[in-house]
Amino acid sequence: MNHRNRVLAAASIVLLTIWSPLAAQEEDAPDVLEAGGRVARIALTSSQLSVARQDSLTFSGSFYDSDGNRVSGVRWGIFSNSAISGLQSIKDSIPDTYLFWGEAPGTDMMAIVVRSPAPTGGGTWRLIDSIPVTVRDWPVASVVIEDPQFAPIVGTSYKLEGTILTTRGDTHATASLTWRSGDRAVASVTAGGVVTFVGTGDVRITATSSVDGVAGTRDFNVEANPVRQLTLSPQTIRTRTGDVEHLEISALDARGRAVDNLALSFSVFGLDSAGAEIFDDGTFVAENPGSYRVIVTAGNIAAQAVVEVEARAPATNVQLVGRGPRAAVATSDLWIFEGNNGRDYAYTGTHANGGGQRMFVWDVTDPSAPDLVDSVVVDARVVNDVKVNGDASWAIITREGASGRANGIVVLSLDDPAHPEVIAELTNNLTGGIHNVWINGDVVYTVNDGTSAMDVIDMSDPYNPTYYGRWELRPGDTNKSLHDVWADGRYAYVSYWDDGLVILDVGAGTHGGTALEPQFVSRVSYDMGNTHTAWREGDYVFVGDELPGPSGYIHVFDVSDIENPAEVAKYDVPEAGAHNIWVENGTLYVAYYNGGLRIVDVTGELRGDLYRQGREIGRFSTSGAEGEAIQPNSPMAWGPQPYKGNIFLTDMNSGLWVVKHDRPVEMSP
Amino acid sequence: MRRLVLTTFALTVYAGTAGAQLVDLNPGVTPPTSNYWAYVANESSDLVSLVRFGPDGIEQEQTIAVGVMPADLDGAHGMTVSPDGNFFYVSLAHGFPYGKVWKYATGSNQLVDTTTVGLFPATMAPTPDGSMLFVVNFNLHGNPIASSVSAIFTPNLQEITQIETCVKPHGGRVNNSGSSHYSVCVASDQLVDISTSRLAVARRLFLTRGSEGLLETGNTGTGLSGNADRCKPTWVTVTPDDETLYVPCNGRGEILEIDAATMEIRRSIPTGRGPYNADISADGRYLVVSLKGAQSVAVFDLPGGAETRISTSQPVTHGVTISPDSRYAFISNEAIGATRGTVDVIDLETKTVAASVEVVHQPGGISFWRMSNPDETN
Repeated sequence: MNHRNRVLAAASIVLLTIWSPLAAQEEDAPDVLEAGGRVARIALTSSQLSVARQDSLTFSGSFYDSDGNRVSGVRWGIFSNSAISGLQSIKDSIPDTYLFWGEAPGTDMMAIVVRSPAPTGGGTWRLIDSIPVTVRDWPVASVVIEDPQFAPIVGTSYKLEGTILTTRGDTHATASLTWRSGDRAVASVTAGGVVTFVGTGDVRITATSSVDGVAGTRDFNVEANPVRQLTLSPQTIRTRTGDVEHLEISALDARGRAVDNLALSFSVFGLDSAGAEIFDDGTFVAENPGSYRVIVTAGNIAAQAVVEVEARAPATNVQLVGRGPRAAVATSDLWIFEGNNGRDYAYTGTHANGGGQRMFVWDVTDPSAPDLVDSVVVDARVVNDVKVNGDASWAIITREGASGRANGIVVLSLDDPAHPEVIAELTNNLTGGIHNVWINGDVVYTVNDGTSAMDVIDMSDPYNPTYYGRWELRPGDTNKSLHDVWADGRYAYVSYWDDGLVILDVGAGTHGGTALEPQFVSRVSYDMGNTHTAWREGDYVFVGDELPGPSGYIHVFDVSDIENPAEVAKYDVPEAGAHNIWVENGTLYVAYYNGGLRIVDVTGELRGDLYRQGREIGRFSTSGAEGEAIQPNSPMAWGPQPYKGNIFLTDMNSGLWVVKHDRPVEMSP
Repeated sequence: MRRLVLTTFALTVYAGTAGAQLVDLNPGVTPPTSNYWAYVANESSDLVSLVRFGPDGIEQEQTIAVGVMPADLDGAHGMTVSPDGNFFYVSLAHGFPYGKVWKYATGSNQLVDTTTVGLFPATMAPTPDGSMLFVVNFNLHGNPIASSVSAIFTPNLQEITQIETCVKPHGGRVNNSGSSHYSVCVASDQLVDISTSRLAVARRLFLTRGSEGLLETGNTGTGLSGNADRCKPTWVTVTPDDETLYVPCNGRGEILEIDAATMEIRRSIPTGRGPYNADISADGRYLVVSLKGAQSVAVFDLPGGAETRISTSQPVTHGVTISPDSRYAFISNEAIGATRGTVDVIDLETKTVAASVEVVHQPGGISFWRMSNPDETN
């Protein structure tokens, strides 16, 4: 269990005890150890170790040898992974009792140990038993059934939401609800709280907590269905897989007036196919081509539309243009740019396998023949990231694994881009290693491995980079992990691993932020965590995970409301794991580790699973041949960058690749 | 379970580094009559090396992949073999954010279990009976705040508690009676004695020159600014009789000899630049100290303290472990950048390097596993 889980642990138990001063190297008396050595089992005074939250339970134990004889004088202790402090679970002397204090609700296992003779002399802790312990939440004070947003109309159904509140006003951790209708001739309700109105009249719905038996109610006056005309428009649609269609719904009563706040029911049927979704706002999107019938009902009134779905244009070729193989050392990130001499260059970093102390310099003016023209060696074992500033006058490379453990960043002059020279380094406050950087004008943001903070570096004089300050989530809390940052001059999108995506104002001015002094805007996280990288185009932020396997995918967030990002779609290649991304001109480029390069059409509105919708428009395996890869025939794509009509990408195992994508003519509007 | 332990990925990435290449003994060296094995953690490769030194030379016999994430070094830092020789433990320094301890069966090198500890776990020390493992949470690059020592119950690899010690704890050892775990704190200049019975700090000794003395047990100290008087202790080692402690002062280029009973500093022994790790032979005769800043090892004859300086095959000399027959010291040398690190074997009788072998990148933690007759293979 990690510490985050520990803090959030379902069962946290603190043992209270009184301390006495400790003597140096004090060991238990021989008779105490001898007694402990004879113990075969323990019988606790409480058969069930269950306490209420913030309440306590005192218990003791009786010890027995293998013949069933009582053993006295045993020094014993207990500990649990979820204890706030196991330190307090072992008393200095022979304990009469232990006192459990319930910290957070849940159940966990508790180990019981006794001090016994060690085979090597002295004493040791010996495991005697492991037993479950439970902490119950606060008592239930009330059950609140949410006021539904829909009118109670005969023939309609919707899910009721009930909240079980404790005496402290928070939601009960473990209790569940059972639902009951006061008049089943008027309304029925399922075990999960879905109510269906079947007749007119008054009805009371009751929800009862499984803990403490507390109930909440909500009364409904059910009316007859006023709807006389229900329409979906358009009634026929021709579209493609992945294209989002919006169906308009109109409900009118007998006098032709619009009826609002109706609980509508949506369904979609495949007429000759399967694989489409209809959302409760009337949004339709299909994964598979075919004909679908969309039905919406308002009580006993229904309307329908037919959607004919064609397949998107098939993926098109991705052709190899050029190669810069690296077979002696693993390759990391890249940056492609036009130098001040008009020639094109690719800078690539190096990773640990083979010794990542180098940034390679490639002349890629002829992309079919990347020409390795130089390299920069620094004291590091991983040069994870490489970035070039806007006018290509300077660059930054990151250091991890420096021999003196003073890592930080290295600044390169690009006066001669074919032969960049180190002009400065900055290690102050950055010794823990820098994993990634992003250049935002004359400001650099660094990802600090040691502090999990985003450091802010003033680069107005690149020869003298100045540490300006830092921004971090929950200052003072060590339980966080930062992985990447990307910014567009207005906002920075910070990938904060299990804390998800953090958005900062770095110049938009909407929240008082500047490039040097970012200000928090919003944060959004999701269950799987491991938020690794982010990139914004238009109203969407594309957020990648990184998970062992490798696995993980691209989450798509709608940030049109910057304070409330909403996850709307995903791109998930089942057989591979996402790594770095680049989004440009409605195209998402993903270095998908073992899945190679993936190119995805992200034009138009996005909803659902983009992979299953056929929005992938190109792929390329970065599998290097024997002698051209540190691990041949094993693609491990790291990062992509479209540049002047080609796509450059690096692969950990095989170096630099240049490919060209025959972009489909037909893309989403 | 979100983060599954998938070692197969790392095995794929690093498959090219496995395989033994026997290196001859250095000229003039008397061949050993036994085989000697040691495990070494390579921090910048996420690999553990099993090194064999024997009559026919020295070799990196196997490499064992550790870690999970493909593009982030997990940082295999600390290494210790259980007293019964059945398991080895490796600390992974870089977590998200907390580090881990992975437990492997020796010989088969199969992963047994893992557990999460604190920030940047570094050195580990088991009790003599093997039931407890103490791990210093070095928090090397984090903010200068008090960190801790994790106490782990090894039968189920369960962290019992984190015992707050001081700022940047490092270099722990359990004494031979198993009653004390000693560690030092690089940034707050302390030697800390934890009672293994009570899992609490029993004593603290402040090591800054001119201010030496016992501290209150609750005084975790602060991150001290650099000055010439600071010890910057990096390790502590215990004599076989448990009466004496030796603490390398990395910042002052000396070793402190400390009375374990009274915690009084008896004397300081000058060394070369950057004394770092230390180990004492089982017979109590040799104190071997790595000189991280001087690409060498200092071998002291105890109790007199006569020193022999021995150059190592690569710079950034790191770890020391001595064979139980008190004959050979195994030294890990990190090297710099892409240069592979090495393990040197020093013959403590002749005070010479008997053999050297390349391992992988940045070997640090090193622990002796076992001896056998020369015909026995692993």
